[in-house]
Amino acid sequence: MPGANGGPPTEFWATRDVTFDVPSGSAAGIIGHNGAGKSTLLKLLTGITAPTTGEIRVTGRMAGLLEVGSGFHPELTGRENIFLSGTILGMSRKEIHRKLESIIDFAEVRPFIDLPVKRFSSGMYVRLGFSIAAHIEPEVLLLDEVLAVGDAAFQEKCLNRVLELKRSGVTILFISHDLRAVERVCDRVLVMQRGKVVHDGPAVEAISAYQALRGAAAGERRVRHEKQQLTVDAVRFLDAEGREPDFGVTGSPLRVRLEYTAQEKLDAVRFELLFIGSDTHWKTTVHNGDNRLTVGPGKGAIEFLCDPLALCPDVYQIDATVDRFGAEDPLDWLIGCQTLPVQSPYAVKGCFQQPFTWSVPPDAT
Amino acid sequence: MGEPFTLPQRSVRVIGPAAFSPLGILRHLWDSPRYFDLLLTLSLHRVKVRYKQSILGLSWALMQPLALMLIYTVIFSVVTKMPGAGEAYPVFVFAALLPWLFFSTALTSASNSLVSHQYLITKVYFPREILPITYLIAAFFDFLVASVLLGIMMAWYRIWPNEQALWVVLVMGVAVLFTLGLSLLLAALQVSFRDIGLALPLVMQIWMFACPVVYPLSAVPAQYRSLYLLNPMAGVIENFRRTVLQGLPPDWASLSVACWVTVLLFPLSYGYFKYREATMADVI
Repeated sequence: MPGANGGPPTEFWATRDVTFDVPSGSAAGIIGHNGAGKSTLLKLLTGITAPTTGEIRVTGRMAGLLEVGSGFHPELTGRENIFLSGTILGMSRKEIHRKLESIIDFAEVRPFIDLPVKRFSSGMYVRLGFSIAAHIEPEVLLLDEVLAVGDAAFQEKCLNRVLELKRSGVTILFISHDLRAVERVCDRVLVMQRGKVVHDGPAVEAISAYQALRGAAAGERRVRHEKQQLTVDAVRFLDAEGREPDFGVTGSPLRVRLEYTAQEKLDAVRFELLFIGSDTHWKTTVHNGDNRLTVGPGKGAIEFLCDPLALCPDVYQIDATVDRFGAEDPLDWLIGCQTLPVQSPYAVKGCFQQPFTWSVPPDAT
Repeated sequence: MGEPFTLPQRSVRVIGPAAFSPLGILRHLWDSPRYFDLLLTLSLHRVKVRYKQSILGLSWALMQPLALMLIYTVIFSVVTKMPGAGEAYPVFVFAALLPWLFFSTALTSASNSLVSHQYLITKVYFPREILPITYLIAAFFDFLVASVLLGIMMAWYRIWPNEQALWVVLVMGVAVLFTLGLSLLLAALQVSFRDIGLALPLVMQIWMFACPVVYPLSAVPAQYRSLYLLNPMAGVIENFRRTVLQGLPPDWASLSVACWVTVLLFPLSYGYFKYREATMADVI
């Protein structure tokens, strides 16, 4: 509802008509664009803000983790802040006394624990903050972007702690932009858009839906040569059996097929597919750059065989470009024309699975 | 970790829209003991932080009443003579400054407590009244420290308290409840209207002269006295001085007015506070 005199809107529903259940002991994720209503939902669930209408039922002790170092006071020592932040997050003093040593060890700040936290490095600060939160032992745990703290090693440690809590039967609701972390933690993911749940399903499926949404929001953009000599019709993925899989598997073969229509005979044509990770960085490309093709007129296709697929689990956005040797503008250029979720049967770290063999050398006895 | 098969009946918490109901107040009071540890830790923290990295430390709690006592003594007993205050003006004014400073320190800091803790309010849930209450406790701690000095001063002037001094528990009880009621109201209002924090220092200066701090109650003309005593702090301060310093029984007329105002104010302001609490994080 626009305000009088064209002022700011007087009414805005951050979330509306959102209904879902998270059964005890399961882990659900919520993803969505900025402003989709994720944080508002968390605030409602934690009781920070009351809903205008509707009702939320929470069974068991709930802990919300919307930031690390809640309530830290810079003048107090690390030890004093453990008590302060711990009680703010809902632990009793007795409970904190019991877990004090474990909290200090997990945060790796033992030599500095009796210094004021204003003298802590930012890494020490967030480690201590997360460590306190990690010791709450809730029955229901709400997580915001808090895992994105500290260096990579500490992030991994945080994620493992969350997975450990999950194994021990804690119900988890995880709200994040880090799709890989969401995929690792959650069995089920809800996608939110403009305050509503638009998709609710298994993690991989929901992440593809989100990626599709993201593509749609950006508009599957197309930059085409004005003569329209060549059009990319589709990009498909095929597994070893020739079926179109829901996702690629790290270490298994994957064929990528690009179909096009050419209006006339064109020489020195180069096809390229770009793989963009959820962090928006280019991860790899496949192309026929060293062996240009003469195509058309009519329909045609080119297939790239990735054997094995070296990309690690993530959801990739695919851009397709077709250009001609010596020409400035591409014949066709599709941005975000496909999404490719990749999974792995094993825990893999990093961006790529480097093919390797191993042996014990004869000189090492 | 508990065994999943033998989980006891778990509490179900229902979060619903904000409601202003008198029964809600009872429920909030019922819930509050669970947060006792938080209240304790935060209050300790207030006292600790205030005197960290200061050389004089705790003695700062005495500076304000001592300095004010010296100023008023110079003005009202050296420069000009305040009638009816008795011979020992320093102890006369100091005894009144104790409850007054408790009230003014607690009210000023507690009214600001929500606004100054935005970073907590928007990130963690706990009953918000804990924040103003911790400032009240910190101010009460200062009051206790300064009370020791009052004892020393009374001994110096050879004023010995009698059994009437026990009424001080009731008098301070009224003072604490009145301060809490007003703090909750002003803290909740300040979430939307920052004017309160800006106006309060000035209001407190004026308010002090509307209380029998530097002058005795008898100096107030009799025809205005009932109007004057509608200010609960006037009743509190007068009775504090009567019972502790003068060894007289409480003045029931003024004390009961203070009680009534408090009894009426407290549920209203606490109810309003809890009603505002529901959407505080969005507005603050």
